[in-house]
Amino acid sequence: MNDVRLTVNGVERHAAVEPRRTLADFLRDDLGLTGTHVGCEHGVCGACTVLVDGEPARSCLMLAVQADGLHVRTIEGLADADGSLSPVQEAFRDEHGFQCGFCTPGFLMTVEAFLAENPDPSDLEIREALSGNLCRCTGYDSIVAGVKLAAERLRSGVGVPA
Amino acid sequence: MSTVVGPARYVGASVHRVEDARVLTGHGRYVDDVSLPGMLHAAFLRSPYPHAKIERIDVEAARALEGVVGVWTGADLAAAGVYPMQIPEPAPPDYLRPVFPILATERVRMIGDPVALVVAESRYVAEDALQLIEVDYEPLAAVGSAEAGLAEGAPIVFEEIGTNLIHHDQAEYGDVDAAFAEADVVVRATWQQQRLTNTPMETRGGVADYDPGRDELTYYAATQGPQLVRMFVAGLIQHPVQQMRVLGPGDIGGSFGQKVGVTREEVAVCFASKALRRPVKWIEDRVENLTVGGQAREETAEAAFAVKKDGTILGLDVKLTMDHGAYPLLPISTAIFTTLIKVMLPSFLRTRNYRWASQTVVTNKAAYVPYRGPWAMETWVRESMLAKVARELGLPVEEVYRKNMIPLDEQPTTMATGPTLEGMTARDTLERALKLVDVPAFRAEQERLRGEGRYLGLGIGVFIEAAPGPPDFGEITGLGAPRDPARARLEPDGKVTVFTAQVPHGQGHETTLAQVAADELGVPFEHVRIVHSDTRDAPFTLIGTGGSRAATMGTGAALAASRALKGKILELGGQVLEAAPDDLELVDAVVRPKDAPDRGMPLAQLAQVAYFMPPEGMEGGLNANDAFPQPRGGWVAATHVCVVDVDVETGEVRIPRYLVVEDCGTMINPAIVDGQVRGGVAQGIGLALLEETVYDEDAQLLTSTFMDYVMPTAVEIPHIEIDHLESEPLAEVNSRGVGEGGAIGAPAAVANAISDALSPFGVAVDRLPASPARILELLGRA
Amino acid sequence: MFYGGRWSLCTLFSELSDCQARMKPAPFTYYAPESLDEALALRAEHAADSVLLSGGQSLVPMLNLRLSQPSVVIDLNRVQGLGGIAESNGGLAVGALTRQRTAERSSLVAERAPLLAKALPLIAHPAIRSRGTVGGSLAHCDPAAELPAVMLALDAKLVARSASGGERVIEAADFFEGFLTTSLREDEILTEVRVPGSPAGAGAAFHEVSRNHGAFAIVGAGCVVQAHEGTVEDVRLVFIGAGGTPMRARAAETALTGQPATAESFAAAARDAAAELEPSSDVHASATYRLNVAEVLARRALTEALEVSA
Repeated sequence: MNDVRLTVNGVERHAAVEPRRTLADFLRDDLGLTGTHVGCEHGVCGACTVLVDGEPARSCLMLAVQADGLHVRTIEGLADADGSLSPVQEAFRDEHGFQCGFCTPGFLMTVEAFLAENPDPSDLEIREALSGNLCRCTGYDSIVAGVKLAAERLRSGVGVPA
Repeated sequence: MSTVVGPARYVGASVHRVEDARVLTGHGRYVDDVSLPGMLHAAFLRSPYPHAKIERIDVEAARALEGVVGVWTGADLAAAGVYPMQIPEPAPPDYLRPVFPILATERVRMIGDPVALVVAESRYVAEDALQLIEVDYEPLAAVGSAEAGLAEGAPIVFEEIGTNLIHHDQAEYGDVDAAFAEADVVVRATWQQQRLTNTPMETRGGVADYDPGRDELTYYAATQGPQLVRMFVAGLIQHPVQQMRVLGPGDIGGSFGQKVGVTREEVAVCFASKALRRPVKWIEDRVENLTVGGQAREETAEAAFAVKKDGTILGLDVKLTMDHGAYPLLPISTAIFTTLIKVMLPSFLRTRNYRWASQTVVTNKAAYVPYRGPWAMETWVRESMLAKVARELGLPVEEVYRKNMIPLDEQPTTMATGPTLEGMTARDTLERALKLVDVPAFRAEQERLRGEGRYLGLGIGVFIEAAPGPPDFGEITGLGAPRDPARARLEPDGKVTVFTAQVPHGQGHETTLAQVAADELGVPFEHVRIVHSDTRDAPFTLIGTGGSRAATMGTGAALAASRALKGKILELGGQVLEAAPDDLELVDAVVRPKDAPDRGMPLAQLAQVAYFMPPEGMEGGLNANDAFPQPRGGWVAATHVCVVDVDVETGEVRIPRYLVVEDCGTMINPAIVDGQVRGGVAQGIGLALLEETVYDEDAQLLTSTFMDYVMPTAVEIPHIEIDHLESEPLAEVNSRGVGEGGAIGAPAAVANAISDALSPFGVAVDRLPASPARILELLGRA
Repeated sequence: MFYGGRWSLCTLFSELSDCQARMKPAPFTYYAPESLDEALALRAEHAADSVLLSGGQSLVPMLNLRLSQPSVVIDLNRVQGLGGIAESNGGLAVGALTRQRTAERSSLVAERAPLLAKALPLIAHPAIRSRGTVGGSLAHCDPAAELPAVMLALDAKLVARSASGGERVIEAADFFEGFLTTSLREDEILTEVRVPGSPAGAGAAFHEVSRNHGAFAIVGAGCVVQAHEGTVEDVRLVFIGAGGTPMRARAAETALTGQPATAESFAAAARDAAAELEPSSDVHASATYRLNVAEVLARRALTEALEVSA
């Protein structure tokens, strides 16, 4: 067993884990943060995407021990402490950007990082940025619309908590 | 007549979904999120051979591994009294029903056939144990295609039935020979649709929880049909069905038909939980899902259309071969799918002359399961034939449609195969689509670009769907016309709970049914809560959610139950307010006299009366049950138009424009409707261009990861324009199902568009997917 | 050096006695050395029983699928001094552990190695590139991967260290030996790649066909073109997905050098280059498809590289 000490959604967490345990399983089963979903375990579907030190990463392709000393953010850490949704979450809600919801956490984390780097993306840039996350329900239009709306709101400061 | 009595406030509005809050914050509860004290984890050992005898299995080393709590083989399950599976009666005549065990015993019949079950403290340890199990196989020759399955001397996959032809069917309508004799031209082609798989983002799985004190088994399942699972699993493991409960965990991550049957794995897992007296979880991994989760659509059709030079279609002759895979999926025989294809193929065509033959062949592949619009082959074949007829006769395809489509003013009438056509607006959707696309302008542009070496194409796919279809549809197809029940209950605080038989898995029923109930009752949307997916309290229906019944039948039931509850509320209100119930109304959760709205009583207060001081003769609390009979009409129609840009040097296909004109009647929640259409179209595009489950001729699977099974991303799926024709209601519930249609129309529209783009080369798409390699093959460049 | 197959599990099933229910790694001992010397000592000790973990984007799927079951995993992510991009002799010195995303954002890379800058965004998706490393991709040597092809095209030098042998500098032409096989010895670790700078004003392009956006390329072509007054002065042309390793079209390059930079000569060069390739068939495409499309992509890449050159 190896010791892991990391920060998850701003909170320091500490556990002993087998080195072969993936970060995805660690978050879900050891920390009880089941918002991150497992869809393929070979790095293609993107459902397990979290932010590691601010960058999107497939938690199914990281060992939990590799996250020692790092900052991980999951979907549970997107909303404020008082429960108010982030601008990206709100925009997805307003554009009906999901149906069954299984892929949604992965999309939200991907979009969170994407808009931080590219605040005024074109439609094509959005679609390319989202191409690493698979959705089987929506056909992607409403997700793209959600990203555009979030970008607009973030740029203009509308709907963004002060 | 409108959908609801009283002002519609919520129906027709794209209200935020009830499901949104939990999904957006990561608090959805899917089956892998279920965690119970003492829970164990299951993993299955699976066959690496498509067809083999099992000579020996040795699980001793696996049993001895630390952390392993139980290991069972097929022989162990049989010894413990677990029954084998068989498609139940009543099955169609000529449908052969082999018996097969939950875990393979003497023979494996597909790659991935489950051979042993390991239950351990973690999935990691369970997989360690799998590697310690020794199995000696004697490989047998395998059947890798339907053609091979029918060949002389083919290995017989289920020896007990003595053939691989598990089902066949033929039918004749009208006078086909005369039609073909009279034809100017007979247009012929063979159309091959590939095998593919539903691929919901959440794989299959469940958590079985046996309570030894009560001898009660609870099974949390990602399933579309909890009632079916309950009845069959209980029967197969010999557990009293009365003491079994099946429920959804709260959220299901998509299904598209894959989670609709009763799986061998869940029988084994429920058995194991009972044997171990501890909860057991099984979550299918993606490789398992792509291998054995369920596959669909592998059909080949030889079609002949007898036509006159002016484009009039005189008759149809279609022979279909379906690749059944090995094991049937309980409890649905694939005969229903070939029957649906047979019945639906003539669709909106006026011709009465139609000959059909089908053969369903067992092969050493994974089970054929329903997949979103399982009869969709009928649309691809018919629409491709219509386009081919147009090409061969030198007519614009629009003209061929207009010559042959039954318009509204010729209805009511019947399809060639019998179902009543009423309110079927296919022609109207086509005309509207053609106008929106501006075909002449496109043709001019297409011509111009051809001069520059660019190949654009336009394709059309028109279809109708029985969602749920007219009352005689069920009789003709054998689907029946079960009524959908619901129950509405007034809560002590005046809010309303509606228990539905529907089992949502992404369709937003918690929202749409609440919209309908709220409007019918006259209460705020937020006061209605929909309860679903639990065999303990859900009203019974065999199907759950499937077959595009929810919009009409599920809605209708919620409506009927709400109406019945309102009746009881007004009756009680009449007693309390000393008025005639007919003089009262329920508006904004207040029961009040129609002529004195300020003298009302809040429903919350009336509910207290209902619970604590019910008048003599009235039950405590208020409940109402009702069911909903299938209404007239019930047809959804849509026209899909696709524009493609084919790179004839690489075979890549872009879609610059995609348009759907559809008529599903009154939309309860337009955003949800559009979402369903787009999701279906995306799957149809995936089918047309990308997805394929590939087995080689020895039935070895070549596509068991997402590296090889190609899924559509946001780049491959274009923006999809949707135009709605909300046609005049024929019945009180004018809403019809829209969940499956997108997937039905898209393959036809995309394939026809590519054929149109490549028509200067004299080739057309008759095999899907139209991958870059296939397109270059058609062009003689690969 | 075992990394299993090219994602078609079918070819591996015959090697396995069971299958399809394995999505968690088998047990292993894990080390996270903090110095290169420590890492080298571990590698020397465990040799073929160990695997090196850098980005993990190729290795961890293999571990999850149990296609790779090493007894020891040596995680290089804590080793000091293996990351970073620096100038070097007019070109670049890229530490093996540099994240692909870091290289993608580097203005130094854009300036001195435009082919590398063009290729990086084609690798999978940002979430893969945020973890995947330059060195890891090179050591993995997948014939459909972009980075090995880029290094081959640019005549990069790959620097390997071992506990016993010190430092060894390997020409790219000698590094990529075969399918998932490099010339790295069992006890060596790739530490750095030295990329010669492309001539000022050279244009680069990378074209590939993949089944969906971000998937492995079915076939692809990358090139660098420098022209002066309408004549090709320097050209590099390389293919992916067209053989067991990235394939450099040296003969075609030679023939094209000194030719007019026109559509005709590019078409001829593309034809010549494609003729040297030895692609194979798989579920996605036949060898013939790859040959024909390689030629098309080479022609298009050459054309684009010229257009963007100065």
